[in-house]
Amino acid sequence: MKLLGIMFTMIFTDNYVLVKFLGICPFLGVSKKFDSCLGMTGAVTFVMTLASAATWAIYTYIMVPLELEYLSTIIFILVIAALVQFVEIVLKKYMKGLYNALGIYLPLITTNCAVLAVTLLNVDNNYNFLESLVDGFAAGIGFGVALILFCGVRKALEHAKPPKAFEGLPITLVAAALTSMTFMGFTGMAEKLFG
Amino acid sequence: MSNLIVGVSPHIRSKNSTQRIMLDVIIALCPALIASVVIYGFRALLLTVISAAVCVCSEWVWEKGFKKPVTILDLSAVVTGILIAYNVPVGMPIWQLIVADVFAIIVVKMLFGGLGCNFMNPALGGRILMMFSFTSSITTYTYPANGIDALSSATPLAVQPELGWNSFMTLFLGNHGGVLGETCILALLIGAAYLLIRRVIKPWIPLCYLGTLLVCSWAFGAENPVLSLFMGGAVLGAFFMATDYVTSPVTNKGKIIFGVGCGLITAAIRVFGNYAEGVTFSIIIMNLLVPYIDDLTLTKPMGGTK
Amino acid sequence: MREKWKIFTNGFFKDNPVLIQLLGCCSVLALSVTVQGSLGMGVALTFVLACSNVVISLLRKVIPDKVRIPCFIVVIATFVTLVEMIVEAFLPDLYTSMGVFLALIVVNCIVLGRAEMFASKNGVLDSLLDGLGMGVGYTIVIVAMAAVRELIGSGTFWGLRIIPEGYQIGIVAQTPGGFLVFGIAIAVLVKINNRRGKEYKPEIGCEGCPLQCADKSECQKEEAK
Repeated sequence: MKLLGIMFTMIFTDNYVLVKFLGICPFLGVSKKFDSCLGMTGAVTFVMTLASAATWAIYTYIMVPLELEYLSTIIFILVIAALVQFVEIVLKKYMKGLYNALGIYLPLITTNCAVLAVTLLNVDNNYNFLESLVDGFAAGIGFGVALILFCGVRKALEHAKPPKAFEGLPITLVAAALTSMTFMGFTGMAEKLFG
Repeated sequence: MSNLIVGVSPHIRSKNSTQRIMLDVIIALCPALIASVVIYGFRALLLTVISAAVCVCSEWVWEKGFKKPVTILDLSAVVTGILIAYNVPVGMPIWQLIVADVFAIIVVKMLFGGLGCNFMNPALGGRILMMFSFTSSITTYTYPANGIDALSSATPLAVQPELGWNSFMTLFLGNHGGVLGETCILALLIGAAYLLIRRVIKPWIPLCYLGTLLVCSWAFGAENPVLSLFMGGAVLGAFFMATDYVTSPVTNKGKIIFGVGCGLITAAIRVFGNYAEGVTFSIIIMNLLVPYIDDLTLTKPMGGTK
Repeated sequence: MREKWKIFTNGFFKDNPVLIQLLGCCSVLALSVTVQGSLGMGVALTFVLACSNVVISLLRKVIPDKVRIPCFIVVIATFVTLVEMIVEAFLPDLYTSMGVFLALIVVNCIVLGRAEMFASKNGVLDSLLDGLGMGVGYTIVIVAMAAVRELIGSGTFWGLRIIPEGYQIGIVAQTPGGFLVFGIAIAVLVKINNRRGKEYKPEIGCEGCPLQCADKSECQKEEAK
């Protein structure tokens, strides 16, 4: 049950983009087209889940015994960078279709603050392996939910007529402000839903 | 040929102008205004009038400032003002109401280009601003009987006491603490009936909303599903806010989806969430999904391609 | 001398990393809630930026091109860890309020971006000046936003109450407020630039991304679709 609670929290209550302010750059950059949104979501979720698993394993079995916790920042980001490279190579070679869909977004994910944040927060929250995995997966889904919702909003924005100074990025940010307001309604739901 | 001058659109003028529609909505909201004055006193009228006035002024100032055509006569700002006022308790400080009005009109509506260009219901945007910025004021419900006692968060919805027939009438007639426009269900329903008769709104959204709310409340294990229909602004939301033309779907199928979605989310937030009411959030969440709903339900014009 | 000054002040306004290059937005939005916190973040970032710029500049002839990004990350991460430890030891309150964002300086596009675009191609002194200048530019923006948000949203400034309790507009200090203030800031900048006749159309896209994706053509194909 706790797992479902984690999932719900990550997707709604503590949504990475709309509540935690992480992953803003790809959020604003990619949310224009629906296909890009899906591609980015897939890539992010994929990497987040794998990274959560990998970093948890390394942290628990290597870093803690060697008392290297203070190096988590360095080690985690290197793991993520390596993972992304590795995934890109594997996809390019063995899963061309998937590579075409997700591949171009992969390099951007290394600098996506949300991915590093997930791995660090997993450790902060003392999640076990399964919880970390679910957390990473749900964070990616949450990112996707925000992305897809915002894609719809941006579609509506195409008909908007803001003042000249606001055209483009500023009005998108205002729209993001309003979108984040809607997510504020989810607080408290995870505990009551899933105990 | 160069002597032909084309006038400014619209070229076809119907009796159904925005002003007409908004006027109908204002009329429909009047019974609730009367009820709120009866239950809460003169201040209710004051708040409503000030709210409407501030909204109109904001719109006027913006349009004058940006040299746009002045549209205050379409009365949409008045409607927004009234709806925002209906979302506050009678003791709300006036300056906070004004902040919400300005935010709703300027940020949620005018910044995007005015009526028709906003994707979120302005009145609800204003309400959320108040909920998170002025939380204590908006949850201090003055109980009408004495008009003075302040009961914080002790509306029927928040307390969910053992409700019997007596309470049903209390809820229906609105003789309890709450916010201005949500308490007297009878008055709201009269107004809603007016709108339906005048064909300003179609019944799909409100019916699906309230119906789904009922079913889901029961399914999620709420204490009193039937009575939940009369609480927390569900009626006001279902008939007057969810039906806003700009922010709801175009087709009937879309409206049904919209209504069902709202009902589901409202029930979920009420039963599982921190907030005593879920109406506001459910409507704006569905507002966000309207572009997708429209995409899915709009039929292709004859002979046209996608 | 004049050139050095130019490099230093480039990041203040003309090529401001946040408002012009549109990098590092996440941290700006998240941490511009209090003036104290934002100043702390600004200083931390400037420190990391300057140090990493220097080291990367020193090593620029040595780092192989193919693995330069991971190498940059290692250097940056080292300094970030250093800063984390210092802040945790001497300013524990700041450490808690910054949360995970202190560690996230490692993937802050500004740091990586300047490493890629400047430090790897210029001398040590220039890189130091550039790092400091960009850091100052960042700090200016984040503190300015924090000043607005703290004043309107919490009624305080540097923790001192300015506006009486109960008269603040809470939402400005929360998530929506961040987006809103940032959007208004950029709109104001656009207006100023338009008045001056300069074209300024901010867009968050591939151009500003420091990573310079391996196959950028793919990204552009996507954008063009």
